[in-house]
Amino acid sequence: MAFQRRQYWGWIFVLPAVLFFALFSYFPIINSFIASFHAKDILSLKAPKFIGFQNYIYIFTSKDFLNSIKATLYFAVGCFIPLVSVSLFMATIVVSLRRFPKVQNVFKMIYYSPAIVSGVVSATIWLLIFDPRGLANQWLNFLANNPTPVDFKWLALPAMARLSTIIIYFWKYVGYFVIIYFAGLVSIPTSLYEVAEIDGASAWKKFWRITVPLLKPTIEFVLIVAFIQCIRTFSIQYVFVQSGSPREPINVVSLNIYTTAMQYHSLGRSTAMSVSLFCFILIFTIVQLRIYRSERVSYV
Amino acid sequence: MKLVSMLLVAALLLAGGTLLLASPGQEPTGPVELIQWTHEDPNRTPLEEKWIAEFQQQNPNVTVTRETSPSGKIQEKVLTAFAAMKGPDIFNMEAEDEWQYIVGERVAPVDLDAIGYSSYKALQNDYLPVTFDGALYEGKIYGLPLEITNWCIYLNDKYYREVGLDPARDYPKTWEQMITVAEKLTLREGEVIKRRGFDFRYPYYLSFWVPMANQLGGKVLSADGKSAAVNSSAWIKLLQYMADWGPNGRNLGSPTYTNARKTFNRDDGSVAMCISGLYQYDRIKAENEAFLPEVSIVPYPRFKDAVNKNGSAVYGHYYMVNASSSPAAQLWAWKLTMYFSSHVEEMLDQIGLTIPSKKLLETAVYKNKKFADVFIEDMATAKFVMTHEKGPQIQDVLKEMVEGVMLSNVAPAEAARRGQEKIDDILRQ
Repeated sequence: MAFQRRQYWGWIFVLPAVLFFALFSYFPIINSFIASFHAKDILSLKAPKFIGFQNYIYIFTSKDFLNSIKATLYFAVGCFIPLVSVSLFMATIVVSLRRFPKVQNVFKMIYYSPAIVSGVVSATIWLLIFDPRGLANQWLNFLANNPTPVDFKWLALPAMARLSTIIIYFWKYVGYFVIIYFAGLVSIPTSLYEVAEIDGASAWKKFWRITVPLLKPTIEFVLIVAFIQCIRTFSIQYVFVQSGSPREPINVVSLNIYTTAMQYHSLGRSTAMSVSLFCFILIFTIVQLRIYRSERVSYV
Repeated sequence: MKLVSMLLVAALLLAGGTLLLASPGQEPTGPVELIQWTHEDPNRTPLEEKWIAEFQQQNPNVTVTRETSPSGKIQEKVLTAFAAMKGPDIFNMEAEDEWQYIVGERVAPVDLDAIGYSSYKALQNDYLPVTFDGALYEGKIYGLPLEITNWCIYLNDKYYREVGLDPARDYPKTWEQMITVAEKLTLREGEVIKRRGFDFRYPYYLSFWVPMANQLGGKVLSADGKSAAVNSSAWIKLLQYMADWGPNGRNLGSPTYTNARKTFNRDDGSVAMCISGLYQYDRIKAENEAFLPEVSIVPYPRFKDAVNKNGSAVYGHYYMVNASSSPAAQLWAWKLTMYFSSHVEEMLDQIGLTIPSKKLLETAVYKNKKFADVFIEDMATAKFVMTHEKGPQIQDVLKEMVEGVMLSNVAPAEAARRGQEKIDDILRQ
């Protein structure tokens, strides 16, 4: 009886959160699924018209959407690999500073601070750096010792526009993953390293045989979150396009969803894109979770 | 039963009274709250705020809330609000963006009784013929003018003299000369441009770029309006011109640089010429008055072998009223916008916005306004900006065409072919 009463209170406590998610998350998701099967002009007063899978057929045969998938993959791969690897490397450096807690805190703060700046603000700051007269050209010309300044066209050339968006995203989020890795690294018992040292293990061996296996849950989390974030990127590309950069090379799926709805007024097609992106992320996450669950390691 | 009948009658009387009170043309005296959304214009804000205060004093039942947004953002804000059936009572944007609200029946036709006119014809007769071209649809007028503008070329005379040019004589009359003059005025350090001689007003392709195509005989749509017409020799020639202008050509400018119109006012050595309307002169006066003696304005260039001698497009901002607002709000909204639009002399004199009423052209204010004649003379040959239900989407395709040739090394013929395909696709939807 007491157990049942406790259960009852449990439901009451989670009810606000369930209602909040139902209203602001699940309802829009379900609504998007429904809207993706309809033709609807965002400005029109006419009722949406049911058209079955036509929106999906259209987007998957449209060069524009296929280009968006390509642009998203370029960005995701270009950003994801450095993000997950460099942040782990940086986190190990921060952890190694455990004997200097003040210095360690300063590093954590420096690494994390870009993550709290909004995407639009980050992109706007970097637009100044990538301006032809900005710091990026000045530094590169200085490093390359160019006798006359070269304009690397950071915002103008398709390949450079892609690279620029990746640099900004990496700068913004690397610190966030450093902190997550840091939390995982400090939870590994130091006794394991001490034992390994007594056995004469090298630093390299300790990293691969102790750190990486015991950090797997954290790595798994970082891989999933980083990939989802890279796939959902929007604000940096949006600011670039607003500032005159060519859209095609950086027209990631999220930007295309926005353009299709807000500029082309096609709510049905934009929701079909959203649903496709949602399904892709869902499948990717499930597959990744399955792979990592089968590889869990414990030395305790 | 008797009580129920009495209540029913009372309810019907109340409902009827409310309807009567709120029907267009009448003057309801109940409290009305109006929300106005407009683009940021620091020069116009104090004037409109003053007129709103006067209007509220004359009509104590009306309260007006005026909200501003950046000119590049208001389109999104209004669209999102209308999509959610929550738009403001009054708003304004460029005519090419407003047109879709007219065709989509989201804005109300002008309430003639509220503004004191007997017919739309009578309203049109008080203004130059071009004035309502962006608001006239199926015989009705859907907006009152906030400004009707065309663009000309602003010169920084000081930079002309610095490179040995005479601004009064050597200014570019043709687009071919524009390349030569801009090249002389451009300062570079290696490949990096330190000062642009001139640069276009990039996102507004319907306003500055389509007129250039028109000069060469190009049109955006076929005569019946059912298909695109951008895959023609005129457009390919124009695209080649843009490719030559861009960073992979003569490196004279690019859409990725800060808007030339914005930096021109600062006189900070970053740009020597830009495109803008007459209002820019008063903005320079407000921002950097010391620079004003060095500014001159010349007509929009024409191509040497132009088949049409048109200037830049005429475009307008119209005050529009939300068709979903209550009848009382609509009535007072039209009264307020007419109150704004009636101050034609103050608009021109203090902030350089032209509402071309016939009355204005007779005034000393117009006759003494520096450079107003340059714009009005150029306007005589100008066409109104393309207004089409899919106008903003078509402008987006034109943007892609220009970016393709200027930044991504797409061949002009290929850019024209892609543009044709995309616009046809938009028209089919």
